[in-house]
Amino acid sequence: MKRKSTTPPGWAIRFFKWLCNDHLVEAVLGDMIELYQRRRTYMQRWRADILFILNVVQFIQPFAVRKKSASLNSISMYKNYITIAWRTFRKSTGYSFINIAGLAVGLSACLLIGLYVQHELSFDNFHEKGARVFRVNMELKFGDNHLDLAVANPLFGETAKTEIQEVETFTRLQWYGSLLVKKGNENIKEENVAWADSTLFDVFTLPMISGNPKTALTEPHSIVVTESVARKYFDNTDVVGETLTINNTESRKITGVIKDLPSNMHIRFTSFVPIVERNDALDGTWAGSQNWNTYLLLKQNANANEVVPLLNKMLDRHLGPQLQQVIGKSLDEFNSEGNFFKTSLTPLHDIYLYSNRIGELYGVGNIQYVYIFSAIAACILIIAIINFMNLATARSANRAREVGMRKVMGSMKGALIAQFITESVLTCTAAMVIAVAITVGVFPVFNELTGKALDVSLLMTPTVITGLIVLALLVGIISGSYPAFYLSAFQPVSVLKGAGLSGKRSSFRNVLVVFQFAASILLIASTLIVFRQLQYIQHKDIGYERNQVVTIYNIDKLGNRAEALKTSLRQVPGIENATVTGYLPVNYYRSTDSFFTSPLLDTKDMISMQEWKVDEDYLATMGMQLVEGRNFSKDIATDSSSLIINEAAAKFLGGENVLEKKLYNIINEETRELKEFRIIGIVKDFNFSSLRETVKPLAFVYGLNDGGLSVRLAPNEITKTLSTIENTWKTIATDIPFEYSFMDADFDRLYRGERQTGKLITYFATLSILISCLGLFGLATFMTEQRNKEIGIRKVMGATVPGITALLSKDFLKLVLFAIVIAIPIAWYFTGLWLQDFAYHIELEWWLFALAGVVALLIALLTVSVQAIKAAVQNPVTSLRQE
Amino acid sequence: MKGTYIGEFEELVLLSVGILFDDAYGLAIVDELEKQTGRTIMISSVHKALVRLEDKGYLKSRMGGSTETRGGRDKRLYQLTQSGKKVLAESRELRNEMWKQVPKIVWEGGKA
Repeated sequence: MKRKSTTPPGWAIRFFKWLCNDHLVEAVLGDMIELYQRRRTYMQRWRADILFILNVVQFIQPFAVRKKSASLNSISMYKNYITIAWRTFRKSTGYSFINIAGLAVGLSACLLIGLYVQHELSFDNFHEKGARVFRVNMELKFGDNHLDLAVANPLFGETAKTEIQEVETFTRLQWYGSLLVKKGNENIKEENVAWADSTLFDVFTLPMISGNPKTALTEPHSIVVTESVARKYFDNTDVVGETLTINNTESRKITGVIKDLPSNMHIRFTSFVPIVERNDALDGTWAGSQNWNTYLLLKQNANANEVVPLLNKMLDRHLGPQLQQVIGKSLDEFNSEGNFFKTSLTPLHDIYLYSNRIGELYGVGNIQYVYIFSAIAACILIIAIINFMNLATARSANRAREVGMRKVMGSMKGALIAQFITESVLTCTAAMVIAVAITVGVFPVFNELTGKALDVSLLMTPTVITGLIVLALLVGIISGSYPAFYLSAFQPVSVLKGAGLSGKRSSFRNVLVVFQFAASILLIASTLIVFRQLQYIQHKDIGYERNQVVTIYNIDKLGNRAEALKTSLRQVPGIENATVTGYLPVNYYRSTDSFFTSPLLDTKDMISMQEWKVDEDYLATMGMQLVEGRNFSKDIATDSSSLIINEAAAKFLGGENVLEKKLYNIINEETRELKEFRIIGIVKDFNFSSLRETVKPLAFVYGLNDGGLSVRLAPNEITKTLSTIENTWKTIATDIPFEYSFMDADFDRLYRGERQTGKLITYFATLSILISCLGLFGLATFMTEQRNKEIGIRKVMGATVPGITALLSKDFLKLVLFAIVIAIPIAWYFTGLWLQDFAYHIELEWWLFALAGVVALLIALLTVSVQAIKAAVQNPVTSLRQE
Repeated sequence: MKGTYIGEFEELVLLSVGILFDDAYGLAIVDELEKQTGRTIMISSVHKALVRLEDKGYLKSRMGGSTETRGGRDKRLYQLTQSGKKVLAESRELRNEMWKQVPKIVWEGGKA
């Protein structure tokens, strides 16, 4: 509303009227308005307004302030409410404890989930130019191969920058592998090292503590490290110009120290080395290997939706001539066979949650889990609030007389509502404080469960604190309102006379109970299914023996000593076998190559397979089985051009007489030089990526790869064997750290996401069931207390204890049955959706859901019957005598 | 002196009420004081003094004299009571008495 330009702000006037006593209010307000009018003749309105407000403020002094007799009364009434709330609390400590604990636990679960979800959603939201940064994706289809990649060829970024004016700049990243950095006499392994373009700091916001971001990654043999790496080697961060000794021989000059990458960035590198060192950095073909994670920074006002078609046109322009040269087909011919090369952009902010392509730099999150957890948090919060409401109503039965008394003494309905809302807000605030304490207490455990490094200080931001206060008030008012209105509506005469409370509102309470149990059953069923699926993954026959296999790392640092190590390790008693290769079913270390079934290189006959370089001991060490054919052999010279393929690849090649077939693969794209491979064996399918995917075609080639050395141990004396291995290592490589891992642990790591989710869901489901039970317990108490006299009379008339127990339990069981009917279809739908994500999954069986229902029913029965039996065995005289 | 003491500011307020005669209300007193002393006077301190002086019985007040510029609100018009006049007179007397006791040499700029 617009006020007249000649009057001061209305709220200030109202405030003054409220503040000032009757003696002065009229005269002083008049004076101040007169003064205001006078000021308005020579100053702007806002100045006059401010001076007016200052004048009002000056009057906040004892001489002017209203001494409200009315307000004093209501203050003492509130004091009384608090006293009564405290007394009620003391009188029934058990109930109050249940009530507060239930809410506190529920709230702290919500807080934890809230923090988790907030962290998931906050990925890459801190980059200054974040809204303009996009990651380039490539989608390729040729023959029956379809690949969705997070990487592009080496030329893509540079070409986009020169040819498309909307592209301001670009930067590329690629895993470097690991570095051995010398500290004193020791070598320390730095794992998270990346190749990066010098434009890295133009695209991402990575604040540099010392060094020049413009030039830091422009010279060869330089390195940019994070603060913690700098501290690790030099104990301070002012180390620009210092030199790190790498892999014992090279040296790299530190040209920049950046702040540690935030935990909510999709990459977690700790060091960057300049791409300029690489002679293949701008070398390659458009159809060739796609291996650079490329980020484009678009110009201000550029629209990504308009840039994507331009990028695709650019791609076609460069791809066409090269296809012609390599496979002898024009782009149109290539496309008309159903093949394509396409590019798309993923906004920086969406990489973590929405993109899960081949070649992501780090593991990504899953928006599905964000939804699942938000839903769980909502369920728990609602269950906790319903529980609180039910308990408060139940306890109100004991407060009826107090309410009657208050009414008789002249308390208005509004005052009674105020009383109960005050009580509930107080309880809620207490619960909130306890919830924060619980959250802080279990934070480390929660971090371990989720595998995140959330900071508890996230709880201390103004937004969260305001949110908590608002939530406490809101929950207090919502959960207090039902009992408040319910209790204040009592007829004083009937409650004072001791008549039973009307059960009219029980339909609403029934709805609450049904809802609460439906939510619990949903969580129980989901938990059962998630749990079984994870069990299934753990115990599925995956085609190799992952137990008792140890992988030793840093083999690539040994150079030509690798073979010697393998030879001496094979002589160690307790080692059954050893193989040198980095290609393991539990690694991400992969490369894919294209093979053709004829030298004509027809894309129709192309098969894209992972190509793993292994030695002759690989199959035995991994416990893989040959279905047909033979293993590689040292003694057969032609094995260097032999392949062992898996069943999936064999099926792709038609399945019959595969061992007679030959495969061809391009060695040189320009000269079209080919290499011919013979298939000598077929290995039983084994899982080498997530069980979310089916087994893809794969080929073993005979050759040396020094990415690791794996040994199979005899089942006995594993510890002793391990120390023997370490000693052997030390005789061969004194300067390189001995590092190893167990393959079953590596396998578990592949499914860590699922396991963590499973565990979290289990915990939260248990919590919600517990809270539901608290609510049900309170409700059962309330109902039995209500029917105290009825039970007494029934007993006098000859009813038995089991009869009465059944009578009292029946009502609740009906509600739970109803909840089962509602919850199971929902659970069926959502768990089905989740399972579809796995190529290998359990079937949804009816008994799983039946079990969830039975569990809920049993829990309800147990909770209710405790109260029912207590009421049933009571001496009828006690209940009948009271009037 | 016993109990009839008033502060300098209170004395000035009382005098202003006298000067303004039948239109002595808060803002007018503020204006008068600012004009006479050249100091900036806070409206709240004037009202505070007025309340105190009325409590002590030196002033009496009535409501009246609303104008358009005041949003139609009445003024609280103050008037000196008998004891108000008396306390002013006593205060003046005391000063005069003390003035007389200051040796002439002080005023004539003697070499003290």
